[in-house]
Amino acid sequence: MQHFTHQLELFPDCSVTLVLFNDVKNAVALRKKAMEGSIDGALINPAMIVDPFQILVATNKAVHLHRIGKMKTRTLNAEIIFNLSPNNNISDALKKFGISDNDSAVIIVLIEDKEKTVNLEGIISQVEGQQVSLAELNKITDIAKVKKMYKLTPQEEKIGTLLDGIICRMSTKDIA
Amino acid sequence: MAGGGGEAGACAVFDPPLQGLQLVQQGAEARLYRGQFLGRAAVVKLRFPKRYRHPALEERLSRRRTAQEARSLLRCRRAGISAPVVYFVDYISNCIYLEDIIGSTTVRDYITSVLQSGKDTSNLFLLAEKIGEVLARMHDEDLIHGDLTTSNMLLRPPVEELDLVLIDFGLSFISGLPEDKGVDLYVLEKAFLSTHPNTDTLFEALLKKYSTTSKKSSPVIKKLDEVRLRGRKRSMVG
Repeated sequence: MQHFTHQLELFPDCSVTLVLFNDVKNAVALRKKAMEGSIDGALINPAMIVDPFQILVATNKAVHLHRIGKMKTRTLNAEIIFNLSPNNNISDALKKFGISDNDSAVIIVLIEDKEKTVNLEGIISQVEGQQVSLAELNKITDIAKVKKMYKLTPQEEKIGTLLDGIICRMSTKDIA
Repeated sequence: MAGGGGEAGACAVFDPPLQGLQLVQQGAEARLYRGQFLGRAAVVKLRFPKRYRHPALEERLSRRRTAQEARSLLRCRRAGISAPVVYFVDYISNCIYLEDIIGSTTVRDYITSVLQSGKDTSNLFLLAEKIGEVLARMHDEDLIHGDLTTSNMLLRPPVEELDLVLIDFGLSFISGLPEDKGVDLYVLEKAFLSTHPNTDTLFEALLKKYSTTSKKSSPVIKKLDEVRLRGRKRSMVG
């Protein structure tokens, strides 16, 4: 099935893979595994994602900060989730953009570089759910929740897409 | 000279930088590159180190301008003023990765080509009004551009639609003072009239629309008149 991989232009040794799952039954266990580190990936709530680009922007920034030792959180995976948030409150970001115990869908973000290879099959086998193509994301996204989170102004909606507003906030939140 | 280790992940300071990026323009302040970023067409603005500056000043200035630019771009968008989306800011090498407005034309080039072609100029008056309107909204947000020229205004294709996008906010700042807004307009006036000779009526139309659009325009126009009296080769006698 289709997963989505992109090689980061700024970090050519690094590639990002996104996998979307629906009908997930073991969100509780997955969360635990992610926190323990037995799944080395960022588990994201797909309802808050409007486009894979959103995750790529968060990941690019996370990798950049990781490599210069300036992350705000303690792990690369937490940093990816944190970067999705329009504000600088870490625990709020992890709660809103990470997965919750009763979530039935999840996006797993996997990073592969010189030091780390990704065992995609291994990760997929641990999820009790259906892997689906990222094209299905638009059925899972909760637009109302996203709009509420990112607080786009009415004027902003006239000059660009929801995604534009989201990306702007993500990329400028540290100096806004 | 920046070594290899510290550059990992940072925007390269030497030419050519990251693969796939091509140099589009070299300005006094920054270099502009075009290329793909995370699967999208992007423009990268790199504020390269100026060797003539004292290093401490250099670092602070470049960083401040980069941050100001990013901040102002967000502020513009929140107010409904069209400006490029910011994709990523690298504070180590002072690079901004922005949305590439594909196929855009600068207002400067558009005005020049219409005037040269001798065709109907009524669209130019509409354009002038559009600019006046956008600047009024910008100033009502207390956002001062700082470097208003017709090269810092883009038109999305097709140009006739006059879909205006403001760019280059490196010298921007926040201010409610009519003086600052007046100076902002003065800078544009000087740039406009010198780049496009004999366009006084066009600029007048711009200012007129600005006045009617902005709620706080009259002290600004008053200041503009005062500033005009100050300029180069101007006598400030009584």
